[in-house]
Amino acid sequence: MTAPATWLRGAALAAGLTLTGFGLYGLLDDAYVTEPAGVLWWAVGALVLHDGLWLPLVCLAGAALGAATGIALRAPRPTLRAAAPTRGPVLRGWLVVAVALTAVGLPAVLRAGRDSGNPTVLPLPYLRNWLLLLAATAVCAALVALARRRRRRRHQRRSGG
Amino acid sequence: MDSKPPGARRRLDLRLDRPLPPPPGFLRRGPFRDGAFTSALHEPRTAVVLGRWLGAALLVCFLTGLTSHFLQDPPHWLAPHLPSRPVNGYRITQGLHVISGIAAIPLTGAKLWTVYPRLFDWPPARSVLHALERLGIAVLVAAVLLELCTGLLNTLQWYPWPFPFRQTHFWLAWLAVGGLLIHLAVKAPLIARHWRGRQAPAPAGRRGFLTAVGAAVGAVTLTTAGQTVPWLRAVDLLAPRRPGPGAGGLPVNRTAAQAGTVTVPADWRLVVDGPRPFRIGLAELRQLPQHEAVLPIACVEGWSVSARWGGVRVADLLARAGAPPGSAVRITSLETEGPYRVSELPAPYAADPLTLLALRVDGEELSADHGFPARIIAPNRPGVLQTKWVARIEVLG
Repeated sequence: MTAPATWLRGAALAAGLTLTGFGLYGLLDDAYVTEPAGVLWWAVGALVLHDGLWLPLVCLAGAALGAATGIALRAPRPTLRAAAPTRGPVLRGWLVVAVALTAVGLPAVLRAGRDSGNPTVLPLPYLRNWLLLLAATAVCAALVALARRRRRRRHQRRSGG
Repeated sequence: MDSKPPGARRRLDLRLDRPLPPPPGFLRRGPFRDGAFTSALHEPRTAVVLGRWLGAALLVCFLTGLTSHFLQDPPHWLAPHLPSRPVNGYRITQGLHVISGIAAIPLTGAKLWTVYPRLFDWPPARSVLHALERLGIAVLVAAVLLELCTGLLNTLQWYPWPFPFRQTHFWLAWLAVGGLLIHLAVKAPLIARHWRGRQAPAPAGRRGFLTAVGAAVGAVTLTTAGQTVPWLRAVDLLAPRRPGPGAGGLPVNRTAAQAGTVTVPADWRLVVDGPRPFRIGLAELRQLPQHEAVLPIACVEGWSVSARWGGVRVADLLARAGAPPGSAVRITSLETEGPYRVSELPAPYAADPLTLLALRVDGEELSADHGFPARIIAPNRPGVLQTKWVARIEVLG
């Protein structure tokens, strides 16, 4: 894609600033939002928890996984990096899927079984379902890993390696 | 920035663009060090690919959210023009709203992980303008995180925060979209450079990572979308609702016990207010011409299910009350309190032959939870406006 025209960038910037101002004004002006500071604290809290706690944990886990599976993720030269086979990608992939299922399912797991006075809200056994999904996706990942290994072996045999 | 006209740029050079002195080097520790992040995937092309997916999800989420807002709370100039068709319109837009919002959860996680090292750029602010841009990113990220968090918990009816959900969710959406546009404007050259992946050989693991993110989006979608997509119901394992067939499988947002309408006054008679006002009891309502319509209950929380409703056409009641054509209607419930005790039915809905004062659902008399003795059911409408336990129908000017 060629670089977008300056006027387009300017228009996007102006529109973005306008919408941000509109949202901020609306939030501060809304009669129902009596304590905008509460929103601010929750926003700061979300940033701190996500960027200050969650992502460092993910990066540490990724690095530990790299060390455990013996990948030099930081290859010395880009060409080598591009050519180097990755190990453990299926495990990493499964972890991505498992984390996503947990992020979406955990609130239901935590709230399930409470008597909210409305039995049609959260009617399922969410803890069981969540564990079931983790197990089912793990089995899928194991099958993918197995298929990859078999294909690699065949490839190595064919190329005499 | 080169998006400014020349005059403004000269002024900005004097103020916002002036380089700031870098902080002392000994502060450059931990994640600020060069090479603190080991993965090869913290690179622009991965960010651009994920950004495209996330941008599409957020755009769908924003537009469907606006649709829901205007259907639920229309400005007075818009109300008379709201369409009562297509019948499943709101079911589809609000279903998409929650589906795209849930899909955005893994996409946001992956995108933020990819660009995480940029948080520790050194120096942290090259100029005032750069500091402002980074502040804009903070607003964008915080708004998106809060939107996803409040939206997800709202589908569970869980409100642990000290602010009202609906208004905050609405205003934060503007902050998120505004922040996104600013972000796109600032990053446009970088995005354009990496729009097609021809710049450099792909780092090992990129394809695997993107495949994993795609699989994660698929997994969370498949296991939650069944609350609105009937053929996905069997794998609806994590969704907060499980609509089923028949009146018994129809979820409710507010039970009769919660609304205080378990027992209806023995002398209940519907009041229809208009030029020729009248009161009518349940037995007489059953004597009027009965109609059936297959209409969805589509909730703002993202679940929906169709049912076969039976009862009296609202248009027939209005004609009997002598309402002029094109009248809007106000519906009042037996509930003593609650934000949806009173709803307005704009003229196109009131005139629609599918809009019923329903007395039955799927062949059975309405249960207390579904609005006994009578409820409103209209096409293309948010569920909270399908007023239950109707006490009064009033023709508006």
